[in-house]
Amino acid sequence: MLLTILISNFAGHILLERFNGVPSEERLHWRTVLVKLGADNLKGARNEELFVSSQKSVHIVFTMLGGVCIYIVGKDEYDELALTEVMFVITSSIKDACGKSPSERLFLDKYGKICLCLDEIGILENTEKDRIRRLIGLKPPNPTEI
Amino acid sequence: MAQPYLKKDDDHDDEADYSPFLGIEKGAVLQEARVFNDPQLDPRRCSQVITKLLYLLNQGETFTKVEATEVFFAVTKLFQSRDLGLRRMVYVIIKELSPSADEVIIVTSSLMKDMTSKTDMYRANAIRVLCRITDGTLLTQIERYLKQAIVDKNPVVASAALVSGIHLLQTNPEIVKRWSNEVQEAVQSRAALVQFHALALLHQIRQNDRLAVNKLVSSLTRGSVRSPLAQCLLIRYTSQVIRESASNTQTGDRPFYDFLEGCLRHKAEMVIFEAARAITELNGVTNRELTPAITVLQLFLSSTKPVLRFAAVRTLNKVAMTHPIAVTNCNIDMESLISDQNRSIATLAITTLLKTGNESSVDRLMKQITTFMSDIADEFKIVVIEAIRSLCLKFPLKHRSLMNFLSNILREEGGFEYKKAIVDSIVILIRDIPEAKESGLLHLCEFIEDCEFTYLSTQILHFLGIEGPKTSDPSKYIRYIYNRVHLENATVRAGAVSTLAKFGAMVDSLKPRIFVLLRRCLFDTDDEVRDRATLYLNTLGTDGAVVETGEDVKEFLFGSLDIPLVNLERSLKNYEPSEESFDINSVPKEVKIQPLAEKKAPGKKPTGLGGPPPGPPSTIDAYEKLLSSIPEFTNFGKLFKSSAPVELTEAETEYAVSVVKHIFDGHVVFQYNCTNTIPEQLLENVTVIVDASEAEEFAEVASKPLRSLPYDSPGQTFVAFEKPEGVPAVGKFSNMLRFIVKEVDPSTGEAEDDGVEDEYQLEELEVVAADYMLKVGVSNFRNAWESMGPDCERVDEYGLGPRENLAEAVNAVINLLGMQPCEGTEVVPSNSRSHTCLLSGVYIGNVKVLVRLQFGIDGPKDVAMKLAVRSEDEAVSDVIHEIVASG
Repeated sequence: MLLTILISNFAGHILLERFNGVPSEERLHWRTVLVKLGADNLKGARNEELFVSSQKSVHIVFTMLGGVCIYIVGKDEYDELALTEVMFVITSSIKDACGKSPSERLFLDKYGKICLCLDEIGILENTEKDRIRRLIGLKPPNPTEI
Repeated sequence: MAQPYLKKDDDHDDEADYSPFLGIEKGAVLQEARVFNDPQLDPRRCSQVITKLLYLLNQGETFTKVEATEVFFAVTKLFQSRDLGLRRMVYVIIKELSPSADEVIIVTSSLMKDMTSKTDMYRANAIRVLCRITDGTLLTQIERYLKQAIVDKNPVVASAALVSGIHLLQTNPEIVKRWSNEVQEAVQSRAALVQFHALALLHQIRQNDRLAVNKLVSSLTRGSVRSPLAQCLLIRYTSQVIRESASNTQTGDRPFYDFLEGCLRHKAEMVIFEAARAITELNGVTNRELTPAITVLQLFLSSTKPVLRFAAVRTLNKVAMTHPIAVTNCNIDMESLISDQNRSIATLAITTLLKTGNESSVDRLMKQITTFMSDIADEFKIVVIEAIRSLCLKFPLKHRSLMNFLSNILREEGGFEYKKAIVDSIVILIRDIPEAKESGLLHLCEFIEDCEFTYLSTQILHFLGIEGPKTSDPSKYIRYIYNRVHLENATVRAGAVSTLAKFGAMVDSLKPRIFVLLRRCLFDTDDEVRDRATLYLNTLGTDGAVVETGEDVKEFLFGSLDIPLVNLERSLKNYEPSEESFDINSVPKEVKIQPLAEKKAPGKKPTGLGGPPPGPPSTIDAYEKLLSSIPEFTNFGKLFKSSAPVELTEAETEYAVSVVKHIFDGHVVFQYNCTNTIPEQLLENVTVIVDASEAEEFAEVASKPLRSLPYDSPGQTFVAFEKPEGVPAVGKFSNMLRFIVKEVDPSTGEAEDDGVEDEYQLEELEVVAADYMLKVGVSNFRNAWESMGPDCERVDEYGLGPRENLAEAVNAVINLLGMQPCEGTEVVPSNSRSHTCLLSGVYIGNVKVLVRLQFGIDGPKDVAMKLAVRSEDEAVSDVIHEIVASG
């Protein structure tokens, strides 16, 4: 299961979150855990450098992209490598939507588009940024990509 | 007019600080959402409003029912627009709003129209949205379209339907299972993603059908799977098949191993890693099978991608637990990871090395770790400490360097948990490696000279008191201990006084000097310290001469308190000051607190009538109080045990009755907890008629009826039996609830004057051997077993007949005896052929009993058991055997 996708700014303020099958009473816990992980590790990190951690039975991959921090949590089949793939899809689609690594401001400017990207990524429904770009514009993917 | 321009300029200047959603407010956004109702829709503006709604939802804002409905209605209007961007936003906001069932109807027709549209993208998205918000009834209406969509030639549509199927499998499995033919077809799709999604869904549909999964795996491992993601899934399913067919591998090669090995040469790292991990996790994997997997993992260790390094080192860490030799080849790569930027990777590398290292590499490794320890967080340090502890137990000869390492890091800065882990490790090493004792104790002594944690200081002082006097030169510890009396807070000072007393008791030559020190403590500012000093001076004998200390004094100082502290605390709180002094033997020894199953009466109290004490007692102690308040039972003596409540009625019947068995030496009292669940009835004069014809040794002596049982206010009625004293009599009792029922007028709550006598059959109740056994654990079974001695030991062997597995047999015996499993031995590892289980308890008459059970299972699942019992009374040991023999 891909349990959580969470995007925050550097101050730990949550901008966007997606939970799959995480009961609402546990969500606060995850927000705290993830934001703390970021605060402990992401300072001075390179753009898009991947960090990895595991807590109990779940795996966490997180990174910094421009002015935002992205965290994804998965378990079982979504181990660290699968999560890296998901992370790659997410960062590349966000960059695509924003035109570059976004500052927090740019991220919020493109908020709607990014919501659509995450909707297309879903629980790994799509993995190619070009395909996602076309899909969020309700255009069919290029035949070569199929 | 100048303002907007200025504002725009501002934006540009400090882009990062200004959020487009600054000052966003729910009310205002809901107002803005009215643009959805405009006859001339402005798609751009509508999209912006939807974005704001999404932002609000993501910030944890909630809409009231009215607000949500209003927004939802407005959103449905947007289907009129032909703007693609807006339509895409509409799809996503419908999902986010997750409308309720009555609202779904409104949007269904629009979505159904999109689902059959000629535009592929409309079809795909409409399917996803519909499946997310729909319920079972609607699903059957659209099932036909979904089946078509799965085999649609457009891969986006097919994937949308397949992924929706995966979601729907949770809520409507029986519908999705009907699609397996279509899904099967989609697995052969040329589009990589469709294949991936189809494979995932197909496996989920068939996961409980082993044969089908087997067939699926056999056919796909021969063919070619396009997408690396699907290939990963296939590897997982394959290892599942291998695991389940493990039993017939004795003869030759493992089925599908070649496939897994082939995947190690795949071009996607994801697939390579998946295959390598699958191989390392095979049951009973051989070194030959492991080698190729370890080789690729070793390559990953020097990858530039941290994730690959982490994945590899984590897998190797697990392998090192079972096959340390196989991992040693990677040691050089692993050592370079100790300096890895990512601390998770570094810690895993260290702990792996500690597991695989041989005796000669220990020193070098410790040197590397020393530099590493200073820059990792406490939580990682604890993991390293635990690894070092087990390494030291593995190589006892290396205790000197490892102990030095532990003492060095003990002196450095660190939080409580970290220091505790170090101290615990040193204590364990001292216990298990006799040569390490003296140096370890000195390290601990030095630590308490400068320890900021009261808890650790007192723990160490206690430990010193036990181990210190047994060393070759106990006097050298006295200085450290006595320093505490001068320098520390009252808790530590009191601990130090007790430790001094233990030295005085054990080492006769030190006694006079200890007396001098203890006398000085008599002037301490704290009561507890003074009290302890006085107590110990008196117990050891006030003259302080060099004489041997009596056994009873030693028992007092060193003997363990075999009463749970919670129970002692509760008994002391309940003790009312009187002529009679507090008797420690009256404290119950049962650890388990048994909550009662009854519901609590919500606010309604029984209406007077001097009924039984209101509210059920929640602990053994409360039971004791309750029983002693009933005059009929006062002469039964001390309550030995109260069982957990046993339900005598099915759930949700008119009257709910459960029973608690109270065991006394010569009596048994059944406490029937009754609840009346019918509002229109009042029960009076409630008794339970017990037929003890199948319990020959029991004779009814008293019955205490319940005078009134109103609706939903639990009450108790009691029946007492006499039985031969000290004999574990067993028997079966049948029960009949008898009462007078009166009609109650629900509007006034008044009961009618006349009632009718009625009866209600309850289920049978049994008194079994386990009722005469208290679950009392021991902290160290081996010590307890050895100190009990073989005098009253009884050993015999039993055949338990065919059983499903060992765990079932072990549980059956534990339940039969009603004893406390020790040291986690009640857990039987899966597939094990033999198991040892340790039990302890106190038998009626306050006799301590220890049991060692050894189980073995043979081919046709016949279980044999060897039962060894030690107790303080050989008759009791025999009784335990009788219980097992007759059970």
